[in-house]
Amino acid sequence: MSKALVMDSYLLADTKTVVAQAKAGDPAGFEALYRAFEIPVYNLCRRICRTAEDAEDVLQETFLEICRSIGQFREDGSLWGWIRTIAASKALMRLRRNKYRDTDELHDEVVGQRREDTHLRMDLEAALERLSETSRAVVWLHDVEGYTHEEIAAMMGKTPSFSKSQLARAHARLRRWLGEEVAA
Amino acid sequence: MTHLSMEQLVSLREPGAEPGAQAARAHLDTCEICRAEFDRLHQRIARLKALPALRPTRDRWPGVRARFEAERRARRLRQAGLVGLAAAASIALLLSLRGTYHAPTPAAVPAELAEAKATSQALEAAIDQYHPESRVLDGRTARIAQELEDRIAAVDSELQMTDLADPGRRETKELNLWRERVGLLDALVDVHLTRASHAGL
Repeated sequence: MSKALVMDSYLLADTKTVVAQAKAGDPAGFEALYRAFEIPVYNLCRRICRTAEDAEDVLQETFLEICRSIGQFREDGSLWGWIRTIAASKALMRLRRNKYRDTDELHDEVVGQRREDTHLRMDLEAALERLSETSRAVVWLHDVEGYTHEEIAAMMGKTPSFSKSQLARAHARLRRWLGEEVAA
Repeated sequence: MTHLSMEQLVSLREPGAEPGAQAARAHLDTCEICRAEFDRLHQRIARLKALPALRPTRDRWPGVRARFEAERRARRLRQAGLVGLAAAASIALLLSLRGTYHAPTPAAVPAELAEAKATSQALEAAIDQYHPESRVLDGRTARIAQELEDRIAAVDSELQMTDLADPGRRETKELNLWRERVGLLDALVDVHLTRASHAGL
């Protein structure tokens, strides 16, 4: 059984019944889907979007899309896998729309100086937050959600090489910001 | 000695052999520094997976439900050929008022009041999504929207006066006004949504 299918039964005990209810247009079915997947969807959106407000908007857009498109969900697949792809696409769309300035290099310098001055190390949460939206999205989708570089590239409208290089650069930065460098 | 780059270390975690993977793996077997770096990479990813789940600060379901239901109503109206905005607005208004007007039990009033306020807020958010103030409306749509907005304003004035009502009847009066407000907002959503769908927005 795939990890996403395991997640289905973990998040929603009676997936088949709820999906059938939602496909029949029953509001109770839609609400049950929302209650079951609200937190994992929000968590994914929040890890990709810059602000909590953006993430909440994407959460709402994701579930609106789920309500509209539940008829297209094929029940031989994973419900969480289907919902997650909608959420990831919406979150990446939000990133493109907002066109935030990529401040990786600036962050690099600022954090580097601060570390030298104070010998403080960032925790993982803060370091992740410091990555650019694109790098953070690639790290999260690849390392945590388990998407391949090909899948990430398709969602972002980029090449797999772009996804690979973003991931490597992000890890180099995280390593430095977390103070994990190994003396050669 | 040249150590493995982060790009090489990251690609060693991928399933399948990338070009140069064999040489990189051979190096990893003999180089303690690169092995330590590779272990740290694994540990970092494990820590990323273990980060606590973040939660939204508020319940977004009422907003999703309000928008989806408004879309469904507009779709049904389009399919039934009821393209007249006036008809859409008045039917929606009648349905929403008939559906919500029932006498509440005294114990249920606070909960129903809270629900009516939340629904009202969700419908206002749904209207905002269509940016009505920045859109050009045809004369008939503008008249219907204006009429509904005037009635909402009248309900709001009455709501401000409920503090003066008899304390025993205040909550019930307030609930009825909030329900009326929800019905009017619901109709206003339909007006904007039907217009937007006809304009292909």
